[in-house]
Amino acid sequence: MTEMNLVQALNLGLSQAMEADPSVMILGEDVGLNGGVFRATEGLFQKFGPERVVDTPLAEIGILGASMGLAMNGMRPVCEIQFDGFLPSVLDQVVCHLGRMRNRTRGRYSLPLVLRAPHGGLIHAPEHHSEAPEAYFCHTPGIKVICPSTPQDAKGLIQAAINDPDPVVFFEPKALYRAARGPVPHEPYEVPIGKARVAREGGDLTFISWGAMVETCLAAAERLGQEGISAEVLDLRTLAPLDLEAILASAEKTGRVVIAHEAPNAGSWAAEISALIHERALLKLQAPVRRVGSWDIRMPLFRLEKYYIPDADRVVEAAKKTLSF
Amino acid sequence: MPLETIDRGRIERLEILSPAGIADASLAAVIPAERILEMYRKMVEIRLFDERAVKLQRQGRLGTYPQILGQEATQIVPPLCLRSKDWLLPTYRGQGSYYARGMELRYSLLYWAGDDRGTRFPEENNDMMFAIPVGAHLTWAAGLAWAEKLKKQDGVALAYLGDGTTSKGDFHEALTFAGQFKLPVIYLIENNHWAISVPREKQAASPTLAQKAWGYGARGLVVDGNDCLAVYKAVSDAVAAARAGLGPTVLECETYRMGHHTTADDASRYRSASELEAWKRKDPVARLRRYLALQGLWNDADEAKLLEEAQAMIQREIEAYESFPAPNPLNMFSDNYESAPWPLIEQRRELAELLELKKAHEPVFELPPAEGRFP
Repeated sequence: MTEMNLVQALNLGLSQAMEADPSVMILGEDVGLNGGVFRATEGLFQKFGPERVVDTPLAEIGILGASMGLAMNGMRPVCEIQFDGFLPSVLDQVVCHLGRMRNRTRGRYSLPLVLRAPHGGLIHAPEHHSEAPEAYFCHTPGIKVICPSTPQDAKGLIQAAINDPDPVVFFEPKALYRAARGPVPHEPYEVPIGKARVAREGGDLTFISWGAMVETCLAAAERLGQEGISAEVLDLRTLAPLDLEAILASAEKTGRVVIAHEAPNAGSWAAEISALIHERALLKLQAPVRRVGSWDIRMPLFRLEKYYIPDADRVVEAAKKTLSF
Repeated sequence: MPLETIDRGRIERLEILSPAGIADASLAAVIPAERILEMYRKMVEIRLFDERAVKLQRQGRLGTYPQILGQEATQIVPPLCLRSKDWLLPTYRGQGSYYARGMELRYSLLYWAGDDRGTRFPEENNDMMFAIPVGAHLTWAAGLAWAEKLKKQDGVALAYLGDGTTSKGDFHEALTFAGQFKLPVIYLIENNHWAISVPREKQAASPTLAQKAWGYGARGLVVDGNDCLAVYKAVSDAVAAARAGLGPTVLECETYRMGHHTTADDASRYRSASELEAWKRKDPVARLRRYLALQGLWNDADEAKLLEEAQAMIQREIEAYESFPAPNPLNMFSDNYESAPWPLIEQRRELAELLELKKAHEPVFELPPAEGRFP
């Protein structure tokens, strides 16, 4: 075990995946010599050379499309789209082809590729650098979507994603790249895709979250604890497929659920989670499931981001409304 | 000197066989006669098939179908320049290129009849599924070729596109990658002069589409796309260059879609009859037949025999297509993931129960076993 931050854990995970399998390669903008704008690929170019860590032209469709071809011809590409706000240009490939290819070729071609992108706000970045677009991807059949919140999970999940035979979209909470620190085992390991984690045990209420908002929920739970309220925090880790069992177990245990996330509320992935809980655990609920997301407006420029993305105050308020229903 | 010429673009056009069937002897001689006869037979077969497919659609026995009438040379000839392990990425108007690679025509019919089982390509080939939203497959071709290079294999990827697709961003991103990484890939533009109702001139102001290659460090060549011998030579040269590590080639094959865009289209709304007449004189099938006859390689008896055999073969394919049992609806859930996540397991069970209920109401409702991998 070594204490490290989330981006260092990812870097180690990528490095070990490349050591273990010569077909793993990394491609994207600035991922090579520069080591990635967040340093996620630092040192890999020097270690594995320009054929395996490739600085591509500035062309997102090209990066993903070429990765799809590489994947269908025996490679395991890990491609990076530099910022979440640049993802919409690859949505055509993701929606129309990435998730469908196995099925439309009657199982002949799978796409064992990982599409990495930083996720979310709170780092004072320019426009189109702080988005939370997970719902677009979760709504696409045929792919898996991951968003870790701890260094240990980041390493285990990136290794699981690379080894997965199906395409995986891997969101990295950029607010946690350096802020989240924790012990990380050195040896390679996988955190299973599709399994949530109880980040904090509690009996009165459940917070369900992912990515950087897990930290916010933990802070909110801490505050509630000071008032004698015991909140459980469920870190989903994988958004598609959802860990239904863990979601229902916690919802049935506490009877009260608040889902907190960075994306705008309308049509968010929280709506799907909320619907699942209502469909399957209605009679165990003490209150309707409540969602706390960002406002249904565009992500403002960063001077207002802390009023846009839910903070612990808003999460605590939502919890109190749920508790007093 | 304030102005200095750094580079001077050059674009060439290749034509070996005149519309009258007279070939440039020095160029034609490099192609074995047996190969030329194979091209001719396959072109005739696909033309007859195309005609029958349109009729099937009119009779309600097929869904919307994209005709290839007039484009037989660009459809049939390029795949014959490849090895089976090379990657072929046709467009949706690609029945001919799949056929040239050995795919049975029953599967093309099945696909255009809306049946997913029509996408089963011969196991020994690296034939890729096309993209109906045009252009997406061009970046895959770059990636497929890239993997060949990384694995130190000498395979190439050949991707087709139409003139309209050269306007799309995907084309430019694919060429950016292909040029930058010197990939063994060939982009074959079937310039059939119409993107549904929009003419070639409205796609780009450049005098040729092949010259776009130049901006990406690729070779570009205009080819008479109704001249089988020119297409054969151009594609063979591009394949050889790709195998030799010389990177990508863009071939603009000038051809003409003599039919409608699809069976749902009426080209007479936007296209003049005189334009069509002018192109009929350059018809690729008639042109090669004239050449073969002049060479003493083909006569009326050969033609009659070919037509008879081709019609019989097509009839067999249509019968095979129409005797496929109805697809099992549970097939929808197969092969979506390596192992199915819980919603698919639940939903497949739900559909299976619904099918049981249906059976009670519709006793004739009989299904073949589900196909594919699940979960």
